[in-house]
Amino acid sequence: MAAPLFLLAPPRSYTSLINAMLGQHPEAFGLPELCLFNVEILGQLWVRSSDEMGSDAKTRHGLLRAVAEIYGGEQTMQSVRMAEHWCAARQNRGVASIYQELVAKIDPLVAVEKSPAYTVDVKRMRAIYKAFPDARFLHLTRHPVGQCKSVMSLYDGTFALFVNSIEFLADRAVVEPQYAWHDFNINILNFLDSVPLKQQMRVRGEDMMSDPPEYLGRICRWLGLRHDADAIEQMMHPERSPFACFGPLDALFGNDPNFLSGPTFRPHEVKMPPLDKPVPWREDGQGLKPEVVALARELGY
Amino acid sequence: MSDPDTARTEGTRPKIGPIDGDPVTTHPDLEKLSPYQRGLREALLREFKARKVKKFVEKQVKYINANRQVTEEIKILFDENGQPPANAPMEDIIAERRQLEYQIKWFEAMVLELQTRLLRVREIEALALDVLEHSPEA
Repeated sequence: MAAPLFLLAPPRSYTSLINAMLGQHPEAFGLPELCLFNVEILGQLWVRSSDEMGSDAKTRHGLLRAVAEIYGGEQTMQSVRMAEHWCAARQNRGVASIYQELVAKIDPLVAVEKSPAYTVDVKRMRAIYKAFPDARFLHLTRHPVGQCKSVMSLYDGTFALFVNSIEFLADRAVVEPQYAWHDFNINILNFLDSVPLKQQMRVRGEDMMSDPPEYLGRICRWLGLRHDADAIEQMMHPERSPFACFGPLDALFGNDPNFLSGPTFRPHEVKMPPLDKPVPWREDGQGLKPEVVALARELGY
Repeated sequence: MSDPDTARTEGTRPKIGPIDGDPVTTHPDLEKLSPYQRGLREALLREFKARKVKKFVEKQVKYINANRQVTEEIKILFDENGQPPANAPMEDIIAERRQLEYQIKWFEAMVLELQTRLLRVREIEALALDVLEHSPEA
C-alpha cells in the first residue's frame, strides 16, 4: 500500500491549493479534509460535544465527499447518502482502520491529505504516525503576518476563536491569531522531532507560490514520484481535482470555501511583511510576540 | 552505531497560548483563567455569535431577491439581439456560469426545504381532518 502524504500546517497556509496541486500528480490522489484523526472512533465525528461555537457538521463533508467519489465515482446527493450509510456501517471502528481502508482503495495512488485541525494537538499527529508508520509529512509554513491576516479575514477569525487563540486585555478579550500560528507550528515541530528525517520535508508556502515547478519537482523527488514536465504540468491545475468545487447540498464543503470558489492557481510573488511592525488586526498598535518573531526567523522569515 | 533516524523522540518546545486543551467544541481547559477572564471570553463568544447571526440574516435577505439577481447577472453576457458579445472574456463567462450554478444550488436547497415543510404541513392537516371526522359532533 502506497504510503500517504500528509501536509501539516496551520490553516490558511496555502494548504488547500498545494494539497490539490500535489493530488493532481498522475501517481497521487488528493483528498479533501477528512478530519478523521480529530477523533478516535468514526461515530464521534457525528457527536456534537459543545454548543459554544455552533454546528460542526462541516467537518464531515470532506469524508462524505471522498467516500462518494471513491466508491460511487461521483459526488451527488445520492452518492453522499450512500457515503453516510458507508460511515454508519463503520461507526464503531477506529479511525485508523477507516483511513487505511480508504488508502487501500485508492492504492497504488499516493493519498495526499491536509486537515489543518490535525495540527491543533500533537496527539492527532501521533495517531496518524501510528496508523501509517511509513507516512511522509510535509510541513508547510507561511509568514505569521500573512497567515494571521488571512485567518482574520475568513468569517471574522472564526478559526482563531474556535481554537481559543485569545488575548486578555484589562477590560476585554480579543481574538489574537498569532497564538495559534505559534502553537500549531510548535506542535508540528515537536511531533516531527519523533519522525525520521527522510519522512519529513519543510517548504515555505510563499516559495511554492512564486516558483511552483521547482518546488513541486523537489517534493516529487523526495516522494519518489515521477517529476517530468507532464507530471508538473498536471499539478499546475488544481482546479481539475474533483474536490476543487462545492459539493452537493448535503456535503457542500470539505475544504476552505475560498479555495472551493476559486481553485485556479496563478503564480505570484508573495510580499513578506516586516516582523517588527504593528500588526494590522490589532487596533492597539501591538506587534508580533517575541516568541512568534523567534519562531518565524527559525522557519526562514 | 545507532541510526539517527530511529529512536527519535517528540520535542518539548513550549507553547504560548493562554488556553490549553482541545478546541472550543471539545471542552478547553479554562482552569488557568480567572473568573473575570472567563467572563471576558464568554462576552467575546457572545459578540462573535451575534455578528455571525446578523451577517447570516443579511445574506438570506439578499437571496430572497435571487430571481432578480440572476437576470441582472447574466445580462452582461448578451447584447440587444440576445447574442453574447464577440469579445466576451472567457474568465467572465466561466465566472458567470459558476455564479449561476451556485444560485441553482441555492434554489434547489430552498425547494427541498419547502417540500419538507409541505410534507409536514400535509401530515398535520391530514391528522386534523381525521380528528374532526371522528369527533362526536361531526
